[in-house]
Amino acid sequence: MLERVAVTGMAAITAYGFGCAALLSGVLSGKPAFGPVTRFDVAQRRVGVAATLPGSPDLRELLDEVIGQVGAGGPVFLAAHQRMGIGDRTYTSACVAASTAVADAASTIAHGDAQRVVVAAGYLVDPVQFGLFDAGRALAVDGAVRPFSMGRKGLLLGDGVAAIVLEARPRREPMAWIDGWGRAGDAYHVCQPRPDGSGLARAIERALLKAGRPGLDYVNAHGSGSPQSDAAEAQALPRGVPVSSTKALHGQALEASPLIELVTTILAMNEGALPVNAGYLGPDPECPVDVILDEPHAGDIRHALVVNSAFGGANTALVVSAP
Amino acid sequence: MNVLAEAQVSSQDSVPALAGFIASSFSPLVAEVARRCLSGVTPNPATAIVIVSPDGDVETARAAASGGRVSPLLFFQAVPNAIAGYIAAKWDLRGPVVCLEEPGIEGGVEVARIIIRDGDADEALVVFVGDGARAVLVRGVRP
Repeated sequence: MLERVAVTGMAAITAYGFGCAALLSGVLSGKPAFGPVTRFDVAQRRVGVAATLPGSPDLRELLDEVIGQVGAGGPVFLAAHQRMGIGDRTYTSACVAASTAVADAASTIAHGDAQRVVVAAGYLVDPVQFGLFDAGRALAVDGAVRPFSMGRKGLLLGDGVAAIVLEARPRREPMAWIDGWGRAGDAYHVCQPRPDGSGLARAIERALLKAGRPGLDYVNAHGSGSPQSDAAEAQALPRGVPVSSTKALHGQALEASPLIELVTTILAMNEGALPVNAGYLGPDPECPVDVILDEPHAGDIRHALVVNSAFGGANTALVVSAP
Repeated sequence: MNVLAEAQVSSQDSVPALAGFIASSFSPLVAEVARRCLSGVTPNPATAIVIVSPDGDVETARAAASGGRVSPLLFFQAVPNAIAGYIAAKWDLRGPVVCLEEPGIEGGVEVARIIIRDGDADEALVVFVGDGARAVLVRGVRP
């Protein structure tokens, strides 16, 4: 008999500010957190926009802060671009690092290998990654992220540091349950997604199977805003379910982004309001997705899906249920 | 976990260059040790790829941080997922892709065990890159 996996603590720091309340109010405002990059020189770059906190914060300090907020105890699984001298295991699987860590943590708890696991993740916009994404022509030259939209130009980076606690048999009502998790690969290309989205579809199928195939009320999509990636993802997403990619609001936090999106999804579920898919200009026939437009969707959100994809054809899906 | 195949590349071995990958021996090492490990078996599509290293691809990180104009080729190879994607496509391995920074291969084998127990793969190719490279193809028993 598997243990049910509860989320009992969350902390987040994004360009919207310190704390989960700042993240929730920011994403529900529908106003993207992007602005000119002042942390380092971008004069030679094609794009000079990102979603950043003021100044030049230290990633290790912010990770210590979010882990301190949720409380140490049990193993810590870290998702980051490199080892940070904290945590019992470090996931570096690019844009699915944090969701892979959550899946492994959930499995660890479900099978009774640990009572409590902290998953922490962090990325702060830095000149090296910014230069790489700029050189790779991955950044949106129009300064906006437009997931699943006609005319989308690419992604924009954003600061994101977060921690969550997963526990078996919580002593108080949890913030949410992680009822399903799935991971699958494309076997297609070093950096392009399989166009038919079948790798992501298998990750989603695995997660839904574990969760007992609940009716979904929301999908927090990977939705990077990249032309090929969004079109492939759209083939895999379930139809008839409200979708938004909150990367259009808080930015792409690379290894940490899935955890920011999971925290955002749980906050939105508990608030009963789903964030919009910002930056949308109009439908793209290659992206038949029911995106949330204009203002947050209000309602009783019982089950949500959080999906992520990365270079190498890595895909993950998490099913989250309201308490 | 049953070990179905294993292979090594020593730091003294000559490793073939890999088209599209520059400035670093990390990805060519991963490709070569994976080739040696998989060449004697019939690949199972339900195979995960887990790449483990103590400090990641240090040479690519150094090249990316060297200043000046950055080669677009470094963009994708700056994350170890890229070479995992190369192996996955070449051998049609459709299981999960995971990259870890761990001091030894054992951390990767543990993650492989979790993935297989969850039913997301039947087998896992675990590659460790340190001073040379080592690969093991493992198969687990689902509960």
